[in-house]
Amino acid sequence: MSHGEREPAAELGLLDATMIGMGAMIGAGIFVLTGLAAELSGPAAILVFALNGAVTAFTGLSYAELASAIPKSGGGYAFVREIFDDLASFVMGWMLWFAYMIAGGLYALGFAPNFLELLHVYGYVPPPGEVGAVALPVLPAVPAEVALAFVAVLGLVAVNAVSTAASGSVETIFTAVKVTILLVFVAFGFLSAGGGGETSFTFQNFDPLFTGEGGALSILPAMGLTFIAFEGYDLITTVTEEVKNPRENIPKAIFVSLGATVVVYLLVVTVAIGTLGAPGLAAAGEAGIAAAATSFMPTGLPVIQNGGAVIVFGAVFSTVTALNAVVIASSRVAFSMGREGQLLPRFGTIHHRFGTPFLAILGSAIVMLGSVVLPTKSAGNMSSLFFLLSFVVVNGALMKLRRERPDMNRPYEVPYYPVPPVLGIVLNLLLTGVLVEYLFRTDRLALALSAGWIVLGVVAYYALERRREAVGAGAPVDGDLAEEGGD
Amino acid sequence: MASLRVVVVGGGRVGTRTAELLDDRGHDVVVVEEDPDRVEALSDEYIATVIQGDATRPSILEQAGLDRADALAALTGRTGVNLATCMVATRLESGLETVMRTDREVGDEYAGFVDAVTFPERAGARATANAIEHDVQTLTEATGALDILEVRVAEGAPVAGRALADVALPRGSLVVSDAAGDTIAGPETVLEPGQSYVLAVAPDVADEVMNLMRG
Repeated sequence: MSHGEREPAAELGLLDATMIGMGAMIGAGIFVLTGLAAELSGPAAILVFALNGAVTAFTGLSYAELASAIPKSGGGYAFVREIFDDLASFVMGWMLWFAYMIAGGLYALGFAPNFLELLHVYGYVPPPGEVGAVALPVLPAVPAEVALAFVAVLGLVAVNAVSTAASGSVETIFTAVKVTILLVFVAFGFLSAGGGGETSFTFQNFDPLFTGEGGALSILPAMGLTFIAFEGYDLITTVTEEVKNPRENIPKAIFVSLGATVVVYLLVVTVAIGTLGAPGLAAAGEAGIAAAATSFMPTGLPVIQNGGAVIVFGAVFSTVTALNAVVIASSRVAFSMGREGQLLPRFGTIHHRFGTPFLAILGSAIVMLGSVVLPTKSAGNMSSLFFLLSFVVVNGALMKLRRERPDMNRPYEVPYYPVPPVLGIVLNLLLTGVLVEYLFRTDRLALALSAGWIVLGVVAYYALERRREAVGAGAPVDGDLAEEGGD
Repeated sequence: MASLRVVVVGGGRVGTRTAELLDDRGHDVVVVEEDPDRVEALSDEYIATVIQGDATRPSILEQAGLDRADALAALTGRTGVNLATCMVATRLESGLETVMRTDREVGDEYAGFVDAVTFPERAGARATANAIEHDVQTLTEATGALDILEVRVAEGAPVAGRALADVALPRGSLVVSDAAGDTIAGPETVLEPGQSYVLAVAPDVADEVMNLMRG
């Protein structure tokens, strides 16, 4: 279900659906995570993105089949709900909801340093790293970046809470802007080759390829960290009911958005490493791409002054639009769960005046706002972890449906079944294992928070179960006697 | 509100429209249909998951996910197939509500076997009659044969301006309320000309009631 009581008319074409998928992937992931990936695995970051594209393609196939057969706009949760029992589907929705909320925190955290960089380019603030804390009279001093991230989440939550989502065509324009900016970056990066400048493009920066500790294996944790950059196809399946000729267009949109994203990523990462070099990228962290751009883009241009500013603007714009996308996506998951009676039924209600899933948005906002105090890397890792786990379940749902509902009509069928879903499960579990092991060594807070979320979920599940039984027995429960679907 | 999960058996004209209506209201629909061309057409509609096969076979029907379904509507053109489907479904899942489409008036003959009976041809006929005759509107189809009607009292009709206490309506009919629905009609309720009233009417006295109300 989309926002509003009126089912939106089918009006998204193949391009729009593709752009929705790319919009979530292109931009935030690449702008925020490239520097962090370079820090982990050096120039091999290029392999990280290529391999992640391959790993996620298997799950993409599963999504295409499921979305063509199950006409529901609930993303992966809706597919899993179709075939798994209550607890399993609840845990899936719970994980996916969290993945999106933490992704929101991640994008907000990526937005802040890039925004400061943009202000810096125009001389409004000192260079990043020298910006002091925001001291408010009442509160203890908060780092400027955290405060900015917090404000960004708050702003987009407010916008989405009181107005229904922007149409697909706006999304298309946004995504086109992002891709254009990245292509400008790539073009100038390659043109800088042989310029003799300190950061001119050179393939020497890729030698040696593996610099991280652990050699070639160092790419595995980096793959885990950046996996979130490829979750856009789940977003496509949250708007399927609005797509024209969905049977054909949704699988196509999934494949095209995935393919195009991988190509753009590889070009951008190649240029970033070839110019600034992996150590420089690593040093710049969340603003890695922006730092690379300011190093080789022409200066002294009219109006915008510094060519690098275009790229920095791109980073700011991308993180904001991606943040907007996950605010909507996370609230849609909570909304679907509320409709299914797997969260409080009120989560599945639409606000009488604003026409938005108001409570679902507010609920998602709480976790998002809380997550902006995390280190960026922790947020990236946690979000990736939960997307990996969710996608394992989605592949499982595909196989269970094939086994138990052989006669379900599947307009698109995964080729070479069962190889792709099995590979999807195995590879995702492999990355999950690597990620958990890596978190155990370096970031126990993230691991503890992740485990805490699952525990909280199981507690919530049984509490809701009790509540449902109470409602079923006719006992009034805080005056909210919703009709429960199924039991 | 939580959504219902409904299994619609038969993807013909009635089944497809029903699935569409339920989907529009935010429910979760699964359609079972045997004919490959219709299955294709349904997939294009993108309103429901489609199971392809003969719904009277338990192995097919189970694939619609009966364990979580709230209701099943058997809407093929053949009454026997619909009855068999409902019987199989309730045997598989005893708590399931069943609705069966018939091709003729069946009264309460199937009361012990299915929860509700629907006769789309009659519903279509009613809608057509409503469209033709503006002053008498069928509101809904109650279970069985009773009609709930909204009828405007005509000027100069036998009952116009009289209180219900003074009017002898035939057995098998009842004035429920005035059309505004503010109050339940009582003996003192006056049938004002030009006003509409909600009535429950058994089909065999409908013409008599019409005569009283419309003149």
